[in-house]
Amino acid sequence: MLEVKNLTKRFGSQEVLKGISLAISEGEILFVLGRSGTGKSVLLKNIVGLLKPESGQILLEGREISKLSEEEYFEVRKMCGMVFQHPALFDSLTVYENVAFGLRRHFPGMTPEEVKKRVTECLDLVHLEGVEDKLPPQISYGMQKRVSLARTIAVEPRYLLFDEPTTGLDPVTTNAINRLISELSRKLNTTSIVVSHDMHCALEIADRIAVLDQGQLIALGTPSELLKSQVPLVKDFLAEITEEDRSRWLS
Amino acid sequence: MVIITPAIRILDGVGGGLMFLGEIIRTLRKYKIDREAILTQIYNISMASFFTTASSGFFVGALMSVQFNMQLRQFGALSVLGGLSTSATVRELGPLLIAFMLSGKVGAYTSAELGIMRVTEQIDAMRCLGTNPMQYLVAPRFLGIIISAFFLLFLGLLMSILGGVILATLVADLSPSEFINTIPMYVEGHSVLSGLFKCLCFSVLLATVCTYKGYTTTGGAKGVGKTVLATALATMVGLVLLDWFTTYLAGVLLDTWRAITI
Ligand SMILES: Nc1ncnc2c1ncn2[C@@H]1O[C@H](COP(=O)(O)OP(=O)(O)OP(=O)(O)O)[C@@H](O)[C@H]1O
Ligand SMILES: [Mg+2]
Repeated sequence: MLEVKNLTKRFGSQEVLKGISLAISEGEILFVLGRSGTGKSVLLKNIVGLLKPESGQILLEGREISKLSEEEYFEVRKMCGMVFQHPALFDSLTVYENVAFGLRRHFPGMTPEEVKKRVTECLDLVHLEGVEDKLPPQISYGMQKRVSLARTIAVEPRYLLFDEPTTGLDPVTTNAINRLISELSRKLNTTSIVVSHDMHCALEIADRIAVLDQGQLIALGTPSELLKSQVPLVKDFLAEITEEDRSRWLS
Repeated sequence: MVIITPAIRILDGVGGGLMFLGEIIRTLRKYKIDREAILTQIYNISMASFFTTASSGFFVGALMSVQFNMQLRQFGALSVLGGLSTSATVRELGPLLIAFMLSGKVGAYTSAELGIMRVTEQIDAMRCLGTNPMQYLVAPRFLGIIISAFFLLFLGLLMSILGGVILATLVADLSPSEFINTIPMYVEGHSVLSGLFKCLCFSVLLATVCTYKGYTTTGGAKGVGKTVLATALATMVGLVLLDWFTTYLAGVLLDTWRAITI
């Protein structure tokens, strides 16, 4: 269970998050939608402690984590992985070493064979083959994004935060990654927060959808609840959904 | 207003740097730093600066011989050439030269490297994967720069003696043994200590500035550019000020030491 209570965050005079409250239960997939620049990435970074909120609470399984020290946060981050919006791969390490990075630190007892097996497995999950020995600058942006995803899921965190995991990917890979997110939650009971601009996919795999606007939560509910929403911005987001799809979702 | 704002910025920078140094020292005391990572840094830094240090060391020695030759000849004191020029190199010129050279090469490189890792969120990604960037990135670079500075200082000194000997033979008709024999007479324990002390201070300054500036970079590619520039400026000014201060401090320490021993 991950709870965010009344979270506020400002940068100088700019108030980015203005009191966000959310609760995500175990195994749930929550999609967060919102226009560019509303603070979706900032929200995720607050949860993993890369940014500190001005006020409010973040409770991870009942424990208040927003005021922990950097050192105490290491434990939290073992449990709670984040896939960055930009790949953020370590560019002096090969793809293989990137994916193995977290494994080596979180599970120092793993043998090299076990590490190799897990790395290969994770690269398979994101449909990457034969790139283990390449350096990040030598592979395409979409590939880097997938390596970054593999790197985060390799350590099997129980909570996963995805910041636009499929933006900029081709439709086939996008589907594969969406399936992966949904499988992680169904099979391993992973709790996920997915920031996305992909309405179709949100309706497809989300248990609930939250819509952020100007630092506030303007809608939160199941896909069918959202389809019935009368909030103007939510309706704008749903404009691309055809009547046919709409009736399919609602039934 | 014109003066106050930059003055506050400078104070902020100095304060931030000192706090960062404190953080590094805390990290060094609390965590084990991977020995292999430090050795890699030492290797990279020393290799990058090996040739420049050796050649500039050689030319400094050579230059000192030529300069002192002209002056000492007037007083018929040519025999002390080796001692005087080596003593000047050990106490003052060597450490300063090494520091300036390292600041151009390693300082710029390290601050740009860390800066890029910061703005591309690699440092944040590292934190998310259970690694302390202070321990994994900053500390090995910090120690690597300091240890390499001593190694390069030693190399530079040897090369300057070599340069000094060769030029002394050529321009002053001094034999190598005449040159080298006077070195122990002029290069006393306190000169060596003061040289080592300077080398330590300079390399700590350089290592702190470049890791601090790099680690706290903001604002994309432009930010990295600014970081490199600020690192160069801060180390140059810092080195000159610190050189004056350490000379002064070494003088005071030496006087106290003499007062105690006599
Ligand atoms: N480190 C920072 N310093 C200052 N301002 C920041 C910082 N990070 C984010 N902001 C500001 O916070 C606001 C929200 O940024 P955020 O990255 O969360 O947007 P987003 O919702 O993720 O947008 P996108 O969909 O484009 O990724 C932006 O206006 C941005 O200017
Ligand atoms: Mg974002």
